[in-house]
Amino acid sequence: MSPLVVGFGGLVVLALLIMVRMPIAYAMILTGAGGIVVLNGPTLVLRQLETLAYGQFAVYDLAVVPLFVLMGCLATRAGLSRDLFRAANAWLGRMRGGVAMSTVAACAGFGAVCGSSLATATTMGKVALPELDRLGYSGALATGTVAAGGVLGILIPPSVVLVIYAIIVEANIVTLFKAALLPGLLAVVLFMVAIAVYVRLYPGAGPAGEPVSRAELRRASVRVLPVLAIFGLVIGGIYGGWFNPTPAAAIGVALVLAYGALKGDVRLAETRDALLQTASTTGMIYLILLGAELFKIFMARGGVPQAVAEWMAASTLAPLTVLILVLIVLLLLGCLMDSLSMILLAVPFLWPILVELNGGELVAAADAGFAMSTDELKIWFGILALVVVELGLITPPVGLNVIVISALARKVPMIETFKGTAPFFVAELLRVAILVAFPGVTLWLTRVLA
Amino acid sequence: MAGRGLGRRRGLAALVERVVTWWALGGGLVLLALVAMTVVSVLTNALAGRPFPGDVELTQMGVAVAVFAFLPYAQLKGANVTADIFTMRAPAGAIAIMRFVAALAALGFALLLTWRMALGMQGYRRYAETTTILEIPLWIAFVPILASLVLLMAAALVTVLESRRRTPGA
Repeated sequence: MSPLVVGFGGLVVLALLIMVRMPIAYAMILTGAGGIVVLNGPTLVLRQLETLAYGQFAVYDLAVVPLFVLMGCLATRAGLSRDLFRAANAWLGRMRGGVAMSTVAACAGFGAVCGSSLATATTMGKVALPELDRLGYSGALATGTVAAGGVLGILIPPSVVLVIYAIIVEANIVTLFKAALLPGLLAVVLFMVAIAVYVRLYPGAGPAGEPVSRAELRRASVRVLPVLAIFGLVIGGIYGGWFNPTPAAAIGVALVLAYGALKGDVRLAETRDALLQTASTTGMIYLILLGAELFKIFMARGGVPQAVAEWMAASTLAPLTVLILVLIVLLLLGCLMDSLSMILLAVPFLWPILVELNGGELVAAADAGFAMSTDELKIWFGILALVVVELGLITPPVGLNVIVISALARKVPMIETFKGTAPFFVAELLRVAILVAFPGVTLWLTRVLA
Repeated sequence: MAGRGLGRRRGLAALVERVVTWWALGGGLVLLALVAMTVVSVLTNALAGRPFPGDVELTQMGVAVAVFAFLPYAQLKGANVTADIFTMRAPAGAIAIMRFVAALAALGFALLLTWRMALGMQGYRRYAETTTILEIPLWIAFVPILASLVLLMAAALVTVLESRRRTPGA
């Protein structure tokens, strides 16, 4: 058997294992290690296993992952969500559909200290859902808003998936964090527009909230200042080049811990829970990373990514057509699998295709297939991939955000929640179209803050 | 998914769970210690131009040690993500078999990795590889890591036994 045949066979085996509920990490470890044994015999794998895992885990740039996870786990317990929601509500609540808009704004604020969509959806859901219910919002709009708003957790930096992407394609994490900001804010605006349109079509779905006094407005706004300060210091510090992402994340953990402790929300028991939650999330992520590495070695030895890239490059499709096809594939697969595994599995195949179509690593922007340098393509594609993969969180059949929100709002049938996310899904498709049509939205900030 | 309803563990399994949980908390404390060190390093660097010596290599080593300490806990809590969508309508018996096979894979992996990393540690002891600045021998990190892997074996064994014992519908 030629290595290429073994390689493609390995892909089939991987898919089958994943389909029969083998944890994705172990599916990759089994196929990866097994494949290398078939191609090169057992000695190589056994040798590599002596140091590969340590080498994979002891990477300085990856250290931001457990730190951002811990920061998010502490933030969910630190009462940040309450303050954010109150402040947003004081400003926006009066409008029709305003409390839903406040939820979106608060989700964005929470996403600024938390890199996980599920955590953002659950945490904000606990605060916002009772209020939306009390004011008579329709179940679909209320749960749909929280489920969709949760996606902002990962789109607004810090974002764990973005860190992983950066490491796979060897991109600069700082640049990616800069690039993610405007697309994230665009999502906030489009989500609010989606709500405004929705309550115009169904006026009963989102009544206006209660007006607040000027004093209350001021008080709520002041209370949210620490959260803004934490984001400003952590992400602003990264943007401004004051510190690298890893120290920035450590500072973020310390600040959120201090904030929660001072407010009395985070005591010993909460810290313990946050650490254990960090343990299971981080353990899961790193095991997937190890599996992905073994699988990547297997694929590279089989020559699969190169073959796919050459085959795609030989086709006469326009680069933009291929990009759109790639995004559709990611969108569909993202509906079936979690985003992290998806990025780890798909990007090593997809990225070489795009590099090939762009004209190689060192092509000048003027001659490039996508009319930008390959370094910029890396950034642009990373943000696009992240956006489409995360859409799977609010679409059937899996829609994890919808599932966790349904668990919180038992009164609302899950099908209603899926219906409620529909306007946001449309807003997201619009956003992807904007980001594809105008790469500048993604790249502008990286150029200005170079 | 995290927190799949596994019910209360008893006897030896309960002991494994307790040790694994404390071990994971220990890993968490290592992480918090790294946070403290990094914050101090940033502050002294800003104020006196003097970062904590070897902060980068300590972070690398510490995170690796912490992550290995998390693996048994993640295994015991069923945190390793699966794609359940393709088998949502499968009978409970079939799913029990799938869970059994997955737990066996974890056990096999833990065994293999413990064996190979024990050899890896011997290699590092023989050739005395150290970190650049503080010159900490690398094999030191392998001591807690191997303990983590032994716990991963124990945790995987618990999940193997539980997946076998759990009858359909229970």
